[in-house]
Amino acid sequence: MSVFRRRKGDSPIVEEISYPSIASLAPRAQTAVRGRVVRIVKQPAQGLPTLLVRIEDESGYATAVWSGRRSIGGLYLGRKVVIEGVPMASPTGLRFFNPAYTLLP
Amino acid sequence: MKIVIAGAGSVGRYMAEQLSSTGNQVTLIDSDASAVSRINVPGVTTAVGDACEIDTLAKAGLADADVVAAVTGDDEDNLVISLLAKQEFAVPRVVARVNNPNNEWMFNEMWGVDVSVSTPHLLTAMVEEAVSVGSLVRIMKFEHGKAQLAEVTLAAESPAVNSRIADLGLPRETTIVAIMRDGHVVAPQADTPLHQGDEVVVLMTGDCEAEVQRILIGAPSS
Repeated sequence: MSVFRRRKGDSPIVEEISYPSIASLAPRAQTAVRGRVVRIVKQPAQGLPTLLVRIEDESGYATAVWSGRRSIGGLYLGRKVVIEGVPMASPTGLRFFNPAYTLLP
Repeated sequence: MKIVIAGAGSVGRYMAEQLSSTGNQVTLIDSDASAVSRINVPGVTTAVGDACEIDTLAKAGLADADVVAAVTGDDEDNLVISLLAKQEFAVPRVVARVNNPNNEWMFNEMWGVDVSVSTPHLLTAMVEEAVSVGSLVRIMKFEHGKAQLAEVTLAAESPAVNSRIADLGLPRETTIVAIMRDGHVVAPQADTPLHQGDEVVVLMTGDCEAEVQRILIGAPSS
């Protein structure tokens, strides 16, 4: 799937880049944001394998949804991550579908 | 609304013509330039290219499309188009066509599909409807199968015959949408009586199905 996400062949994300605040994001525009994992929702075993992760910065929160998997190694509560993708508006705030992610130290 | 249709076969072209004539802004994509050129409706924009490629989809204007319909004759292509539309362009509504009913289980939110339409499935439902009086016919599913539209033609022995809708005691998550009686649509009211031969169209969640069956059809005959 990564071929879809890294469509511009851009250089790897580094932490020095300044990211927009989550509250300032507009739906349906390609973007990257940095935040802290504050919630991880897993699906029951018989449901569709889906991982739901809420990330938060000082301004607000957004949700990342990964389908086809139940966990991501290294992605735990409190972890700082960068999420990159196209967010869509949802009743529970902005939602990224299968975004690219970078785990930050 | 801005609608992008992938696949300019007979289905895609028909949809483009219909949707365009009702005032929507329609773009039609196909890799075959001659298939695209066969559409001669002035309002429809066309794009030639592989709809499974992000560049083609971007050129077709998915970034601000309200609806994408993946209606090619190839289920794999329809799934890829749906996934890209959702993941790369966050399209609010993605509709996909199921060609082989064995693939229907894959057309879900995991692949970015909001609504899947399976012609064989619809045909089966229509045939069931034609041959069945006194049984529940599932017509269409919504919300990823949580809600469904079903129809019952009331047989003489149905316990619902000659009772008013309010007295049926239908479950909370169920609503009678319409009653077809002698070729007329009857808008259901609380005091509308049901007659033998009425086609009752019901919208309900899956959990209510057994209860609705009991109320409209009766206990399964032993």
